[in-house]
Amino acid sequence: MSIDWAWIGSHFDDMWAATTEHLTLTFIAVSLGLVVAMALSLVALRWRSTYGPITWFTGILYTIPSLALFTFFIPFFGLSLITAQIALVSYTLLILIRNIVAGIDGVPDAVIESARGMGMTERGVFLGVQVPLAMPVIIAGIRIATVSTIGLVTVTSLIGQGGYGVFILRGIRRQFLTETLVGTLLSVALAVVADLLLVALERRVTPWRRRREAV
Amino acid sequence: MEAPEGGGVIDFLGEVGAWLGDPANWTGRSGVPNRLWEHVAVAGVALVVAGIVALPTGVALGHRGRGGVLAVSAVNIGRAIPSFGIVGIAFPITLALGLSPLGYWATLVALVALALPPMFVNAYTGVGQTDPALVEAARGMGMTERQVLTGVELPLALPVIMAGIRTAAVEVVATATLGAVVGFGGLGRFIIDGFAQRKFEEVFVGGVAVALLAIVTETTLGWVQRRTDHTRPPRNGRVPQPLDVDDVIDAVPVG
Amino acid sequence: MRKHRNRAIGASLLAFALLGVACGDSGDDAATIEGPAIVIGAQDFGESAIVAEIYRGALASAGFTVNVQAVGGFRDLELAAFDSGDINLAPEYAASMLEFLNDNAGEATGDAGATTDLLNGYLTDVGLVALEPSDAVDTNAFVVTQETSDSVGIATLSDLAANGADLVLGGPPDCETNPFCIPGLITTYGLDLGANFQPLDAGQVTVAALEAGEIDVAILFSTSGVIADRGFVLLEDDQGMLAADNVVPVVTTEVQEAYGDQLADVLNDISSKLTTAGLTEMNKRFDIDTEDAEDIAADWLADNGF
Repeated sequence: MSIDWAWIGSHFDDMWAATTEHLTLTFIAVSLGLVVAMALSLVALRWRSTYGPITWFTGILYTIPSLALFTFFIPFFGLSLITAQIALVSYTLLILIRNIVAGIDGVPDAVIESARGMGMTERGVFLGVQVPLAMPVIIAGIRIATVSTIGLVTVTSLIGQGGYGVFILRGIRRQFLTETLVGTLLSVALAVVADLLLVALERRVTPWRRRREAV
Repeated sequence: MEAPEGGGVIDFLGEVGAWLGDPANWTGRSGVPNRLWEHVAVAGVALVVAGIVALPTGVALGHRGRGGVLAVSAVNIGRAIPSFGIVGIAFPITLALGLSPLGYWATLVALVALALPPMFVNAYTGVGQTDPALVEAARGMGMTERQVLTGVELPLALPVIMAGIRTAAVEVVATATLGAVVGFGGLGRFIIDGFAQRKFEEVFVGGVAVALLAIVTETTLGWVQRRTDHTRPPRNGRVPQPLDVDDVIDAVPVG
Repeated sequence: MRKHRNRAIGASLLAFALLGVACGDSGDDAATIEGPAIVIGAQDFGESAIVAEIYRGALASAGFTVNVQAVGGFRDLELAAFDSGDINLAPEYAASMLEFLNDNAGEATGDAGATTDLLNGYLTDVGLVALEPSDAVDTNAFVVTQETSDSVGIATLSDLAANGADLVLGGPPDCETNPFCIPGLITTYGLDLGANFQPLDAGQVTVAALEAGEIDVAILFSTSGVIADRGFVLLEDDQGMLAADNVVPVVTTEVQEAYGDQLADVLNDISSKLTTAGLTEMNKRFDIDTEDAEDIAADWLADNGF
């Protein structure tokens, strides 16, 4: 059982194409997830009693095995991007909502009070104080969601979508270990790179030096 | 296959009911009880193996305050590894090693790999984040390192460690379904076989069963976790929030 | 500031690279035939991908706008893709598709023409039509190792029924309901191997299990290049359980009407030149030599005058 380096060397094009596909699928899922999660989080923050049911529901989505979720939507949306994306987005919701709400909640009351005291409107307080201060926790959530999604996108190859999962699946099908390894390692590498980029993003977005409190 | 519309959904649920009512689906090797057992068994073994490796290591490193970089890498890479790929890689290796039964070992390897990061990271942060003042006070009172660990750090870290075990358990239960692709049994069999044989009620039952199992796991371990939580006072008068990131290791909320 | 400029340059380079990939390498021949683009559905096993690529290459040379789309591993996904318009052409297998559409009613026979006609009867209901079947057949193969064949004394499926009733059968998960698998063995040979059946991914996964001794009888594709390569014994279907699983192109009636003979001629030409031996050779290149479907198809097209 050895690595076929020649195969790796001759398939850089395919790997690059798969990277683009994988990134696209991930980006769409996390972006949509963020939009939906923000909306649900605002609801949960405004009407506290909805937080429980919202996390309960997204938690259920999270526990459904990805395979089942994909197959459930195929009769409705066919073999399309939509089917894959519904499942991928569902998996991001729980972690994003939890972190957005926890982040906003984590802003010390004293800071909010002084902002109000300075005459800021509620909206100004939210957008100008709470959201920026919540950024580290929110981005931590985006990091987890992104990395998880990158892993899940590999499973979408079972329903004909693209990305690194194609290598993994073909490698399993013809028992070609090199191909399976390439698919797996590329997926890990992409996730690590994405994670590092998001860390860099977080540093840019929180230019003030602060230690995050363990809440 | 057409989209089930109003009446179609009722028919579908009827088929699910018929499937559940068929005694053949509850007996033998491919019956629900056996598949459930296979599923729980592989998940349990994976958690135990991962726990034996991850917990002592995490606790020890957390106590000494070392290994921050390792913890960061463990979290990042561990969360990034696609279980699907691990199963695919492990399968030919386990075959070559002559390990039986088919697919079991490949699934087990993937699940252990999945469970290690959350267990390790939480053991590390749980112990490492103990209030330094308390640790100093304990040392000042003359406690040995081991006594500090067992008497102060571990009890305080228990909820966080439990949270890590809980996260690992839920992920392992949900992911064990992938083993069916390489011949393993478990609840994933209903999903894969059901789809191959066009018995979509079987796919549905499999999916729901795994989801229920995961929810039960999450709730039970959550209860255990809260039982260990009585030593933690609420901070700032608020309900304890998901554990936040820490500068050293940027761990993830594990609440 | 320099830092910003470098970053901007880096970002632009990355953007250009991505653009380059997105636009640059489709490299098809200029399409000269007006009409709906042809999208060929390829299932996720080697042979399907190879034949799909053969269709693509030949149609592109003939001037069609054509592409290949992966459709996963289950026939349901393929039909869903036809239904949603994601694909409009796919390589199929006459007998298996017939039994899929008639809910395993057992109508398929060993006669390719008759089977295809029956198939077309069902296909019209879903807006599809099957063209001429090829002579190339890919059906289920029940395979044992030479050792098993010698020690248990089996060379045909009748032998298996007589001597091998407690052997472990391994194959695709649909085997329990596939009329060319366990149910077929029961009705034609009186042999029930369901008790110890081990579901496995078709192809090399099953081969690996067979070689490791995890299963005794493997269900492979009859065109699998591995059978000859590893010296396995293909148990003969001496009582005719298997039916005409000839390769046949299935296309939407919409596309068929749009192009008429222009399209059908190319596809029927391919079908007439595809052989079982040819498929076996190409599968070997894919599974064992780990070559790409596109390359294998390109060679076949060149060898056959396309």
